[in-house]
Amino acid sequence: MTTTASVVAFDQVSKAYDAVRAVDGLTLALRPGETVALLGPNGAGKSTTLDLLLGLKKPDSGTVRLFGTSPRDAIVAGRVGAMLQSGGLMDEVTVAELVRLACDLHPKPYRPSEVLSRAGIEQIADRKVNKLSGGQAQRVRFALATAGDSDLIVLDEPTTGMDVTTRQAFWATMREQADQGRTVLFATHYLEEADAVADRVLVLHRGRLLADGTAAEIKAKAGARRISFDLADTVDEAALRGLPFLTSLTVSGPTVRIQSTDADATVHALYGLGVYPRNLEVAGLGLEQAFVAITTAEEAKSK
Amino acid sequence: MNSLIKLELTRALRNRKFLFFSVIYPSVLFLIIAGNADSTTKVPGSALTLPTYMMVSMASFGALTAVLMGNSERIAKEREGGWVRQLRLTTLPGRGYVLAKTASAAVVSLPSIVIVFAVAAAVKDVRLDAWQWLALTGAIWAGSLVFAALGVALGYLASGDAVRPITMITYFGLSMLGGLWMPTTTFPGWLQDIAEWLPTHAYAALGQAIEQSRAPHVQDLAVLVVSFVLFAGGAAWLYRKDTLKA
Repeated sequence: MTTTASVVAFDQVSKAYDAVRAVDGLTLALRPGETVALLGPNGAGKSTTLDLLLGLKKPDSGTVRLFGTSPRDAIVAGRVGAMLQSGGLMDEVTVAELVRLACDLHPKPYRPSEVLSRAGIEQIADRKVNKLSGGQAQRVRFALATAGDSDLIVLDEPTTGMDVTTRQAFWATMREQADQGRTVLFATHYLEEADAVADRVLVLHRGRLLADGTAAEIKAKAGARRISFDLADTVDEAALRGLPFLTSLTVSGPTVRIQSTDADATVHALYGLGVYPRNLEVAGLGLEQAFVAITTAEEAKSK
Repeated sequence: MNSLIKLELTRALRNRKFLFFSVIYPSVLFLIIAGNADSTTKVPGSALTLPTYMMVSMASFGALTAVLMGNSERIAKEREGGWVRQLRLTTLPGRGYVLAKTASAAVVSLPSIVIVFAVAAAVKDVRLDAWQWLALTGAIWAGSLVFAALGVALGYLASGDAVRPITMITYFGLSMLGGLWMPTTTFPGWLQDIAEWLPTHAYAALGQAIEQSRAPHVQDLAVLVVSFVLFAGGAAWLYRKDTLKA
Protein backbone atom coordinates (compact mmCIF):
# COMPACT_ATOMS: atom_id res chain seq x y z
CA MET A 1 0.00 0.00 0.00
CA THR A 2 1.49 3.30 -1.05
CA THR A 3 1.11 6.22 1.28
CA THR A 4 1.18 8.87 -1.44
CA ALA A 5 -1.98 10.92 -1.57
CA SER A 6 -1.48 11.87 -5.20
CA VAL A 7 -4.54 11.75 -7.39
CA VAL A 8 -2.37 11.85 -10.48
CA ALA A 9 1.34 11.07 -10.56
CA PHE A 10 3.53 11.37 -13.66
CA ASP A 11 7.09 10.19 -13.24
CA GLN A 12 9.54 11.09 -16.01
CA VAL A 13 6.91 10.43 -18.69
CA SER A 14 7.88 10.77 -22.34
CA LYS A 15 5.97 10.17 -25.54
CA ALA A 16 7.21 10.81 -29.06
CA TYR A 17 5.56 10.64 -32.48
CA ASP A 18 8.23 9.88 -35.03
CA ALA A 19 10.81 12.59 -34.34
CA VAL A 20 8.52 14.92 -32.39
CA ARG A 21 8.64 14.71 -28.61
CA ALA A 22 5.05 15.45 -27.68
CA VAL A 23 5.70 14.91 -23.98
CA ASP A 24 9.24 15.14 -22.73
CA GLY A 25 10.24 13.91 -19.29
CA LEU A 26 7.11 15.14 -17.55
CA THR A 27 6.94 14.76 -13.78
CA LEU A 28 3.98 16.12 -11.86
CA ALA A 29 1.59 15.30 -9.05
CA LEU A 30 -1.97 16.46 -8.44
CA ARG A 31 -3.32 16.59 -4.91
CA PRO A 32 -6.91 15.79 -3.93
CA GLY A 33 -9.35 18.67 -4.24
CA GLU A 34 -7.25 20.86 -6.51
CA THR A 35 -8.61 22.56 -9.59
CA VAL A 36 -5.75 22.55 -12.03
CA ALA A 37 -5.42 24.17 -15.43
CA LEU A 38 -3.10 22.66 -17.98
CA LEU A 39 -2.17 25.65 -20.05
CA GLY A 40 -0.31 25.75 -23.32
CA PRO A 41 -0.58 26.80 -26.96
CA ASN A 42 -1.70 24.33 -29.63
CA GLY A 43 0.92 21.66 -30.02
CA ALA A 44 2.28 22.08 -26.49
CA GLY A 45 1.42 18.48 -25.66
CA LYS A 46 -1.75 19.06 -23.63
CA SER A 47 -3.91 16.47 -25.39
CA THR A 48 -1.11 13.90 -25.38
CA THR A 49 -0.62 14.51 -21.65
CA LEU A 50 -4.32 13.90 -21.01
CA ASP A 51 -4.33 10.81 -23.26
CA LEU A 52 -1.41 9.40 -21.26
CA LEU A 53 -3.15 10.30 -18.02
CA LEU A 54 -6.30 8.45 -19.08
CA GLY A 55 -4.42 5.45 -20.42
CA LEU A 56 -5.53 6.07 -24.00
CA LYS A 57 -1.86 6.17 -24.94
CA LYS A 58 1.05 4.30 -23.43
CA PRO A 59 4.16 6.30 -22.52
CA ASP A 60 7.43 5.44 -24.28
CA SER A 61 9.11 5.73 -20.89
CA GLY A 62 8.16 6.70 -17.36
CA THR A 63 5.03 5.82 -15.39
CA VAL A 64 1.57 7.27 -15.00
CA ARG A 65 -0.42 6.41 -11.87
CA LEU A 66 -3.92 7.46 -10.88
CA PHE A 67 -4.82 6.94 -7.22
CA GLY A 68 -1.79 4.65 -6.97
CA THR A 69 -3.03 2.31 -9.72
CA SER A 70 -2.95 2.18 -13.50
CA PRO A 71 -5.23 4.60 -15.39
CA ARG A 72 -7.38 1.70 -16.61
CA ASP A 73 -7.89 0.32 -13.09
CA ALA A 74 -8.83 3.78 -11.83
CA ILE A 75 -11.41 4.12 -14.63
CA VAL A 76 -12.86 0.66 -13.96
CA ALA A 77 -13.16 1.60 -10.28
CA GLY A 78 -15.25 4.60 -11.36
CA ARG A 79 -12.82 7.17 -9.95
CA VAL A 80 -12.32 9.11 -13.20
CA GLY A 81 -14.75 11.02 -15.39
CA ALA A 82 -13.37 12.51 -18.57
CA MET A 83 -14.40 14.72 -21.43
CA LEU A 84 -12.19 14.54 -24.48
CA GLN A 85 -11.75 17.25 -27.03
CA SER A 86 -11.98 14.57 -29.69
CA GLY A 87 -14.63 12.63 -27.80
CA GLY A 88 -17.20 11.65 -30.38
CA LEU A 89 -20.78 10.90 -29.50
CA MET A 90 -23.00 8.08 -30.65
CA ASP A 91 -25.16 9.19 -33.59
CA GLU A 92 -28.91 8.74 -33.99
CA VAL A 93 -29.68 8.36 -30.30
CA THR A 94 -31.17 11.03 -28.07
CA VAL A 95 -29.25 13.00 -25.48
CA ALA A 96 -31.23 11.30 -22.70
CA GLU A 97 -30.46 7.82 -24.05
CA LEU A 98 -26.76 8.59 -24.25
CA VAL A 99 -26.68 9.99 -20.71
CA ARG A 100 -28.54 6.91 -19.45
CA LEU A 101 -25.90 4.73 -21.08
CA ALA A 102 -23.12 6.69 -19.35
CA CYS A 103 -24.91 6.27 -16.01
CA ASP A 104 -25.36 2.53 -16.63
CA LEU A 105 -21.67 2.15 -17.35
CA HIS A 106 -20.54 4.01 -14.21
CA PRO A 107 -19.94 1.96 -11.01
CA LYS A 108 -21.19 4.82 -8.81
CA PRO A 109 -23.82 6.39 -11.06
CA TYR A 110 -26.07 9.39 -10.47
CA ARG A 111 -29.64 9.37 -11.69
CA PRO A 112 -29.82 10.34 -15.39
CA SER A 113 -32.28 13.16 -14.61
CA GLU A 114 -29.79 14.60 -12.12
CA VAL A 115 -26.95 14.44 -14.63
CA LEU A 116 -29.07 16.11 -17.33
CA SER A 117 -30.09 18.98 -15.09
CA ARG A 118 -26.58 19.53 -13.73
CA ALA A 119 -25.21 19.82 -17.25
CA GLY A 120 -28.12 22.12 -18.16
CA ILE A 121 -29.36 19.95 -21.00
CA GLU A 122 -32.84 18.89 -19.84
CA GLN A 123 -34.42 21.00 -22.58
CA ILE A 124 -32.53 19.13 -25.28
CA ALA A 125 -32.86 15.68 -23.67
CA ASP A 126 -35.09 14.36 -26.47
CA ARG A 127 -33.00 15.79 -29.26
CA LYS A 128 -30.87 13.53 -31.45
CA VAL A 129 -27.19 13.76 -30.65
CA ASN A 130 -26.22 14.47 -34.27
CA LYS A 131 -28.54 17.52 -34.36
CA LEU A 132 -26.74 19.48 -31.63
CA SER A 133 -24.76 22.70 -31.90
CA GLY A 134 -21.10 22.67 -30.92
CA GLY A 135 -21.77 24.17 -27.51
CA GLN A 136 -24.64 21.77 -26.80
CA ALA A 137 -22.49 18.81 -27.78
CA GLN A 138 -19.84 20.04 -25.33
CA ARG A 139 -22.44 20.07 -22.54
CA VAL A 140 -23.46 16.52 -23.43
CA ARG A 141 -19.79 15.48 -23.24
CA PHE A 142 -19.64 17.16 -19.85
CA ALA A 143 -22.71 15.18 -18.78
CA LEU A 144 -20.97 11.95 -19.82
CA ALA A 145 -17.92 12.96 -17.76
CA THR A 146 -20.07 13.59 -14.69
CA ALA A 147 -22.46 10.64 -14.94
CA GLY A 148 -21.20 9.22 -11.67
CA ASP A 149 -19.49 10.09 -8.42
CA SER A 150 -15.90 10.23 -9.74
CA ASP A 151 -13.01 11.62 -7.69
CA LEU A 152 -11.16 13.10 -10.64
CA ILE A 153 -12.67 14.97 -13.56
CA VAL A 154 -10.54 15.53 -16.63
CA LEU A 155 -11.64 17.99 -19.31
CA ASP A 156 -9.83 18.71 -22.56
CA GLU A 157 -10.60 22.23 -23.83
CA PRO A 158 -14.14 21.99 -22.46
CA THR A 159 -15.44 25.38 -23.58
CA THR A 160 -14.54 25.07 -27.26
CA GLY A 161 -17.57 26.06 -29.32
CA MET A 162 -19.46 27.63 -26.39
CA ASP A 163 -20.68 31.23 -26.45
CA VAL A 164 -19.90 33.58 -23.57
CA THR A 165 -23.07 32.90 -21.57
CA THR A 166 -22.78 29.14 -21.88
CA ARG A 167 -19.12 29.38 -21.01
CA GLN A 168 -19.88 31.20 -17.76
CA ALA A 169 -22.64 28.76 -16.83
CA PHE A 170 -20.27 25.93 -17.59
CA TRP A 171 -17.57 27.19 -15.26
CA ALA A 172 -20.12 27.76 -12.52
CA THR A 173 -21.07 24.07 -12.81
CA MET A 174 -17.40 23.15 -12.80
CA ARG A 175 -16.81 25.09 -9.60
CA GLU A 176 -19.65 23.18 -7.92
CA GLN A 177 -17.88 19.96 -8.85
CA ALA A 178 -14.65 21.25 -7.33
CA ASP A 179 -16.43 22.47 -4.19
CA GLN A 180 -17.63 18.93 -3.56
CA GLY A 181 -13.99 18.00 -3.02
CA ARG A 182 -13.26 16.61 -6.46
CA THR A 183 -10.00 17.07 -8.24
CA VAL A 184 -10.54 18.83 -11.54
CA LEU A 185 -7.95 18.98 -14.30
CA PHE A 186 -8.68 20.90 -17.47
CA ALA A 187 -6.64 21.78 -20.51
CA THR A 188 -7.06 25.18 -22.08
CA HIS A 189 -5.24 27.70 -24.18
CA TYR A 190 -7.08 30.62 -22.62
CA LEU A 191 -5.09 32.31 -19.87
CA GLU A 192 -8.30 34.01 -18.64
CA GLU A 193 -10.02 30.67 -18.03
CA ALA A 194 -7.08 29.37 -16.08
CA ASP A 195 -7.00 32.65 -14.18
CA ALA A 196 -10.69 32.62 -13.29
CA VAL A 197 -11.14 28.97 -12.36
CA ALA A 198 -7.92 27.22 -11.39
CA ASP A 199 -6.15 27.05 -8.03
CA ARG A 200 -3.07 25.94 -9.81
CA VAL A 201 -1.77 26.39 -13.32
CA LEU A 202 0.64 24.08 -15.11
CA VAL A 203 2.27 25.67 -18.13
CA LEU A 204 3.21 23.20 -20.81
CA HIS A 205 5.44 24.07 -23.73
CA ARG A 206 6.90 21.59 -26.21
CA GLY A 207 6.00 18.73 -23.93
CA ARG A 208 7.79 20.12 -20.90
CA LEU A 209 6.47 21.68 -17.72
CA LEU A 210 7.63 25.30 -17.80
CA ALA A 211 5.84 26.68 -14.81
CA ASP A 212 3.73 25.40 -11.96
CA GLY A 213 1.99 27.86 -9.66
CA THR A 214 -1.07 30.01 -9.09
CA ALA A 215 -2.41 32.04 -12.01
CA ALA A 216 -1.10 35.22 -10.39
CA GLU A 217 2.38 33.73 -10.11
CA ILE A 218 2.34 32.65 -13.75
CA LYS A 219 1.27 36.06 -14.95
CA ALA A 220 3.87 37.81 -12.81
CA LYS A 221 6.47 35.45 -14.22
CA ALA A 222 5.40 36.24 -17.76
CA GLY A 223 5.46 40.02 -17.34
CA ALA A 224 1.93 41.27 -17.24
CA ARG A 225 1.51 44.05 -19.84
CA ARG A 226 3.00 45.24 -23.03
CA ILE A 227 3.38 48.90 -23.87
CA SER A 228 4.15 50.32 -27.29
CA PHE A 229 4.56 53.88 -28.59
CA ASP A 230 6.40 55.99 -31.18
CA LEU A 231 8.94 58.66 -30.35
CA ALA A 232 9.48 61.58 -32.74
CA ASP A 233 12.89 62.60 -31.34
CA THR A 234 15.94 60.42 -31.24
CA VAL A 235 15.36 57.54 -28.88
CA ASP A 236 17.48 57.55 -25.75
CA GLU A 237 17.64 53.82 -25.11
CA ALA A 238 19.64 54.09 -21.93
CA ALA A 239 17.00 56.33 -20.35
CA LEU A 240 14.21 53.98 -21.41
CA ARG A 241 16.06 51.03 -19.96
CA GLY A 242 15.99 52.79 -16.62
CA LEU A 243 12.18 52.71 -16.49
CA PRO A 244 10.74 50.85 -13.48
CA PHE A 245 9.13 47.35 -13.72
CA LEU A 246 10.60 46.82 -17.17
CA THR A 247 11.09 43.20 -18.26
CA SER A 248 12.03 43.75 -21.89
CA LEU A 249 12.67 46.58 -24.35
CA THR A 250 12.91 46.58 -28.13
CA VAL A 251 13.42 49.61 -30.35
CA SER A 252 12.78 49.48 -34.09
CA GLY A 253 13.03 52.88 -35.77
CA PRO A 254 10.78 55.29 -33.92
CA THR A 255 8.72 52.45 -32.37
CA VAL A 256 9.43 51.31 -28.84
CA ARG A 257 8.01 48.11 -27.38
CA ILE A 258 8.16 47.43 -23.66
CA GLN A 259 7.01 44.63 -21.40
CA SER A 260 6.29 45.61 -17.85
CA THR A 261 5.01 43.95 -14.71
CA ASP A 262 3.39 47.24 -13.64
CA ALA A 263 2.28 49.17 -16.72
CA ASP A 264 0.83 52.12 -14.74
CA ALA A 265 4.12 52.83 -13.01
CA THR A 266 6.13 52.37 -16.20
CA VAL A 267 3.96 54.78 -18.21
CA HIS A 268 4.01 57.31 -15.40
CA ALA A 269 7.80 57.18 -15.32
CA LEU A 270 7.91 57.43 -19.13
CA TYR A 271 6.24 60.85 -19.04
CA GLY A 272 8.67 61.72 -16.26
CA LEU A 273 11.50 61.37 -18.78
CA GLY A 274 10.18 64.45 -20.54
CA VAL A 275 9.44 62.65 -23.83
CA TYR A 276 6.18 62.82 -25.75
CA PRO A 277 5.09 59.28 -26.72
CA ARG A 278 2.64 59.06 -29.63
CA ASN A 279 0.21 56.20 -30.43
CA LEU A 280 0.59 54.88 -26.91
CA GLU A 281 -0.94 51.42 -26.44
CA VAL A 282 -1.08 49.31 -23.31
CA ALA A 283 -2.34 45.76 -23.65
CA GLY A 284 -2.39 42.53 -21.75
CA LEU A 285 0.29 40.11 -22.70
CA GLY A 286 -1.14 37.40 -24.97
CA LEU A 287 -0.57 33.86 -23.89
CA GLU A 288 1.73 33.34 -26.85
CA GLN A 289 3.96 36.17 -25.64
CA ALA A 290 3.66 35.00 -22.07
CA PHE A 291 5.10 31.70 -23.22
CA VAL A 292 7.91 33.40 -25.05
CA ALA A 293 8.65 35.39 -21.90
CA ILE A 294 8.63 32.31 -19.68
CA THR A 295 10.59 30.21 -22.17
CA THR A 296 13.26 32.88 -22.54
CA ALA A 297 13.54 33.22 -18.78
CA GLU A 298 13.77 29.43 -18.34
CA GLU A 299 16.41 29.08 -21.01
CA ALA A 300 18.46 31.93 -19.54
CA LYS A 301 18.24 30.25 -16.13
CA SER A 302 19.44 26.88 -17.41
CA LYS A 303 22.56 28.45 -18.98
CA MET B 1 -22.59 -3.86 -21.71
CA ASN B 2 -26.24 -4.90 -21.93
CA SER B 3 -27.21 -1.26 -21.94
CA LEU B 4 -24.91 -0.63 -24.90
CA ILE B 5 -26.42 -3.58 -26.80
CA LYS B 6 -29.88 -2.22 -26.04
CA LEU B 7 -28.94 1.23 -27.29
CA GLU B 8 -27.23 -0.12 -30.41
CA LEU B 9 -30.38 -2.09 -31.12
CA THR B 10 -32.69 0.89 -30.59
CA ARG B 11 -30.55 2.77 -33.02
CA ALA B 12 -30.54 0.00 -35.63
CA LEU B 13 -34.31 -0.32 -35.44
CA ARG B 14 -34.65 3.44 -35.90
CA ASN B 15 -32.57 3.44 -39.05
CA ARG B 16 -35.15 2.78 -41.77
CA LYS B 17 -32.67 2.54 -44.61
CA PHE B 18 -30.65 -0.07 -42.79
CA LEU B 19 -33.77 -2.01 -41.82
CA PHE B 20 -35.09 -1.94 -45.37
CA PHE B 21 -31.86 -3.26 -46.86
CA SER B 22 -31.28 -5.96 -44.29
CA VAL B 23 -34.84 -7.07 -43.49
CA ILE B 24 -37.13 -6.32 -46.44
CA TYR B 25 -34.77 -6.21 -49.42
CA PRO B 26 -33.69 -9.90 -49.34
CA SER B 27 -37.35 -10.99 -49.49
CA VAL B 28 -38.07 -8.61 -52.35
CA LEU B 29 -35.03 -9.88 -54.21
CA PHE B 30 -36.17 -13.46 -53.57
CA LEU B 31 -39.56 -12.72 -55.16
CA ILE B 32 -37.91 -11.06 -58.17
CA ILE B 33 -35.51 -13.94 -58.79
CA ALA B 34 -37.76 -16.87 -57.90
CA GLY B 35 -41.03 -15.18 -58.84
CA ASN B 36 -41.47 -16.71 -62.28
CA ALA B 37 -39.81 -20.03 -61.57
CA ASP B 38 -42.16 -22.96 -61.30
CA SER B 39 -41.82 -25.13 -58.24
CA THR B 40 -40.67 -28.28 -59.99
CA THR B 41 -37.70 -27.29 -62.16
CA LYS B 42 -34.43 -28.21 -60.50
CA VAL B 43 -31.47 -25.87 -60.34
CA PRO B 44 -28.81 -27.29 -62.70
CA GLY B 45 -26.30 -29.34 -60.75
CA SER B 46 -28.50 -29.44 -57.66
CA ALA B 47 -31.38 -31.57 -56.38
CA LEU B 48 -33.26 -28.45 -55.27
CA THR B 49 -35.92 -26.39 -57.03
CA LEU B 50 -35.10 -22.77 -57.75
CA PRO B 51 -37.37 -21.31 -55.01
CA THR B 52 -35.97 -23.70 -52.39
CA TYR B 53 -32.43 -23.00 -53.53
CA MET B 54 -32.87 -19.22 -53.66
CA MET B 55 -34.63 -19.13 -50.29
CA VAL B 56 -31.43 -20.18 -48.53
CA SER B 57 -29.35 -17.88 -50.72
CA MET B 58 -31.49 -14.86 -49.92
CA ALA B 59 -31.76 -15.65 -46.21
CA SER B 60 -27.98 -15.90 -46.16
CA PHE B 61 -27.75 -12.67 -48.14
CA GLY B 62 -30.05 -10.88 -45.67
CA ALA B 63 -28.04 -12.04 -42.69
CA LEU B 64 -24.83 -11.06 -44.49
CA THR B 65 -26.21 -7.57 -45.14
CA ALA B 66 -27.26 -7.06 -41.52
CA VAL B 67 -23.96 -8.08 -39.96
CA LEU B 68 -21.53 -6.76 -42.56
CA MET B 69 -23.17 -3.37 -43.14
CA GLY B 70 -24.09 -3.02 -39.49
CA ASN B 71 -20.50 -3.34 -38.41
CA SER B 72 -17.97 -2.07 -40.91
CA GLU B 73 -19.11 1.41 -41.80
CA ARG B 74 -20.29 2.34 -38.32
CA ILE B 75 -17.15 1.12 -36.62
CA ALA B 76 -15.00 3.10 -39.05
CA LYS B 77 -17.12 6.20 -38.54
CA GLU B 78 -17.27 5.96 -34.76
CA ARG B 79 -13.59 5.19 -34.54
CA GLU B 80 -12.80 8.38 -36.44
CA GLY B 81 -15.42 10.44 -34.67
CA GLY B 82 -13.89 9.55 -31.32
CA TRP B 83 -16.85 7.67 -29.84
CA VAL B 84 -14.68 4.57 -29.47
CA ARG B 85 -12.17 6.66 -27.49
CA GLN B 86 -14.91 8.02 -25.27
CA LEU B 87 -16.13 4.48 -24.57
CA ARG B 88 -12.61 3.51 -23.53
CA LEU B 89 -13.01 5.95 -20.65
CA THR B 90 -15.87 3.89 -19.24
CA THR B 91 -15.90 0.57 -17.41
CA LEU B 92 -16.87 -1.18 -20.65
CA PRO B 93 -14.19 -3.77 -21.43
CA GLY B 94 -12.21 -3.13 -24.62
CA ARG B 95 -13.97 -5.82 -26.62
CA GLY B 96 -17.37 -4.77 -25.32
CA TYR B 97 -17.88 -2.27 -28.10
CA VAL B 98 -17.29 -4.81 -30.85
CA LEU B 99 -19.37 -7.46 -29.07
CA ALA B 100 -22.28 -5.06 -28.59
CA LYS B 101 -22.18 -4.10 -32.27
CA THR B 102 -22.12 -7.74 -33.35
CA ALA B 103 -24.86 -8.74 -30.93
CA SER B 104 -27.19 -5.99 -32.11
CA ALA B 105 -26.47 -6.85 -35.77
CA ALA B 106 -27.31 -10.47 -34.99
CA VAL B 107 -30.65 -9.44 -33.53
CA VAL B 108 -31.49 -7.60 -36.77
CA SER B 109 -30.30 -10.49 -38.95
CA LEU B 110 -32.73 -12.96 -37.37
CA PRO B 111 -35.92 -11.32 -38.73
CA SER B 112 -34.31 -10.95 -42.15
CA ILE B 113 -33.82 -14.75 -42.22
CA VAL B 114 -37.28 -15.56 -40.89
CA ILE B 115 -39.05 -13.16 -43.26
CA VAL B 116 -37.41 -14.73 -46.34
CA PHE B 117 -38.54 -18.16 -45.06
CA ALA B 118 -42.08 -16.93 -44.47
CA VAL B 119 -42.32 -15.35 -47.92
CA ALA B 120 -40.89 -18.48 -49.58
CA ALA B 121 -43.32 -20.75 -47.76
CA ALA B 122 -46.35 -18.54 -48.35
CA VAL B 123 -45.76 -17.38 -51.92
CA LYS B 124 -43.63 -20.12 -53.48
CA ASP B 125 -44.93 -23.09 -51.48
CA VAL B 126 -41.55 -24.15 -50.18
CA ARG B 127 -42.19 -27.07 -47.82
CA LEU B 128 -39.65 -28.51 -45.39
CA ASP B 129 -39.79 -30.56 -42.19
CA ALA B 130 -39.96 -28.71 -38.91
CA TRP B 131 -36.42 -29.75 -37.95
CA GLN B 132 -35.17 -28.42 -41.28
CA TRP B 133 -36.69 -24.97 -40.72
CA LEU B 134 -35.13 -24.83 -37.26
CA ALA B 135 -31.75 -26.14 -38.41
CA LEU B 136 -31.73 -23.68 -41.33
CA THR B 137 -32.47 -20.73 -39.08
CA GLY B 138 -29.80 -21.83 -36.62
CA ALA B 139 -27.15 -22.54 -39.26
CA ILE B 140 -27.67 -19.30 -41.19
CA TRP B 141 -27.81 -17.29 -38.02
CA ALA B 142 -24.68 -18.86 -36.56
CA GLY B 143 -22.89 -18.70 -39.90
CA SER B 144 -23.46 -14.95 -40.06
CA LEU B 145 -20.89 -14.62 -37.26
CA VAL B 146 -18.19 -15.26 -39.85
CA PHE B 147 -19.26 -12.12 -41.72
CA ALA B 148 -19.82 -10.13 -38.54
CA ALA B 149 -16.12 -10.71 -37.83
CA LEU B 150 -15.32 -9.60 -41.38
CA GLY B 151 -17.37 -6.44 -40.84
CA VAL B 152 -15.42 -5.64 -37.68
CA ALA B 153 -12.13 -6.23 -39.46
CA LEU B 154 -13.15 -3.89 -42.32
CA GLY B 155 -14.29 -1.27 -39.81
CA TYR B 156 -10.85 -1.24 -38.23
CA LEU B 157 -8.99 -1.60 -41.53
CA ALA B 158 -10.46 1.21 -43.59
CA SER B 159 -11.33 4.73 -42.66
CA GLY B 160 -12.90 7.88 -44.04
CA ASP B 161 -14.03 7.76 -47.62
CA ALA B 162 -12.40 4.40 -48.24
CA VAL B 163 -14.62 2.34 -45.97
CA ARG B 164 -17.80 2.51 -48.05
CA PRO B 165 -16.31 1.40 -51.39
CA ILE B 166 -14.25 -1.31 -49.69
CA THR B 167 -17.32 -2.61 -47.86
CA MET B 168 -19.44 -2.46 -51.00
CA ILE B 169 -16.90 -4.28 -53.15
CA THR B 170 -16.48 -6.96 -50.50
CA TYR B 171 -20.23 -7.22 -49.98
CA PHE B 172 -21.28 -7.41 -53.62
CA GLY B 173 -18.24 -9.48 -54.59
CA LEU B 174 -18.91 -12.07 -51.92
CA SER B 175 -22.66 -12.10 -52.59
CA MET B 176 -22.41 -12.45 -56.34
CA LEU B 177 -19.36 -14.68 -56.71
CA GLY B 178 -20.49 -16.82 -53.77
CA GLY B 179 -23.70 -17.57 -55.65
CA LEU B 180 -26.15 -15.82 -53.33
CA TRP B 181 -27.85 -14.04 -56.22
CA MET B 182 -27.72 -16.84 -58.77
CA PRO B 183 -26.57 -20.45 -58.58
CA THR B 184 -22.82 -20.74 -59.20
CA THR B 185 -23.58 -23.62 -61.56
CA THR B 186 -24.56 -20.97 -64.12
CA PHE B 187 -21.02 -19.52 -63.94
CA PRO B 188 -18.26 -20.44 -66.42
CA GLY B 189 -16.07 -23.29 -65.18
CA TRP B 190 -13.07 -21.20 -64.09
CA LEU B 191 -15.31 -18.90 -62.06
CA GLN B 192 -17.02 -21.87 -60.41
CA ASP B 193 -13.59 -23.06 -59.28
CA ILE B 194 -13.02 -19.73 -57.54
CA ALA B 195 -16.55 -19.43 -56.15
CA GLU B 196 -16.28 -22.81 -54.49
CA TRP B 197 -13.69 -21.42 -52.05
CA LEU B 198 -15.59 -18.30 -51.03
CA PRO B 199 -17.08 -18.24 -47.52
CA THR B 200 -20.42 -17.03 -48.89
CA HIS B 201 -20.64 -20.08 -51.14
CA ALA B 202 -19.88 -22.38 -48.22
CA TYR B 203 -22.41 -20.45 -46.14
CA ALA B 204 -25.25 -21.00 -48.60
CA ALA B 205 -24.14 -24.59 -49.25
CA LEU B 206 -24.57 -25.30 -45.56
CA GLY B 207 -28.24 -24.33 -45.76
CA GLN B 208 -28.77 -26.21 -49.02
CA ALA B 209 -27.35 -29.36 -47.42
CA ILE B 210 -29.91 -29.07 -44.65
CA GLU B 211 -32.68 -28.66 -47.24
CA GLN B 212 -31.58 -31.94 -48.82
CA SER B 213 -31.32 -33.65 -45.43
CA ARG B 214 -27.72 -34.52 -45.96
CA ALA B 215 -24.50 -33.80 -44.08
CA PRO B 216 -22.67 -30.64 -45.21
CA HIS B 217 -19.50 -31.04 -47.26
CA VAL B 218 -16.33 -31.08 -45.22
CA GLN B 219 -14.85 -28.50 -47.57
CA ASP B 220 -17.68 -26.02 -46.89
CA LEU B 221 -17.33 -26.42 -43.13
CA ALA B 222 -13.57 -26.03 -43.41
CA VAL B 223 -13.90 -22.86 -45.54
CA LEU B 224 -16.29 -21.34 -42.97
CA VAL B 225 -14.09 -22.23 -39.99
CA VAL B 226 -10.90 -20.99 -41.65
CA SER B 227 -12.65 -17.77 -42.78
CA PHE B 228 -13.92 -17.14 -39.27
CA VAL B 229 -10.47 -17.65 -37.77
CA LEU B 230 -8.91 -15.35 -40.39
CA PHE B 231 -11.52 -12.60 -40.06
CA ALA B 232 -11.72 -12.72 -36.27
CA GLY B 233 -7.93 -12.87 -35.99
CA GLY B 234 -7.58 -9.97 -38.41
CA ALA B 235 -10.21 -7.98 -36.53
CA ALA B 236 -8.47 -8.61 -33.20
CA TRP B 237 -5.10 -7.62 -34.62
CA LEU B 238 -6.45 -4.43 -36.25
CA TYR B 239 -8.35 -3.59 -33.09
CA ARG B 240 -5.18 -3.82 -31.00
CA LYS B 241 -3.26 -1.73 -33.50
CA ASP B 242 -5.96 0.92 -33.44
CA THR B 243 -6.03 0.96 -29.63
CA LEU B 244 -2.29 1.54 -29.41
CA LYS B 245 -2.48 4.33 -31.99
CA ALA B 246 -5.50 6.15 -30.61
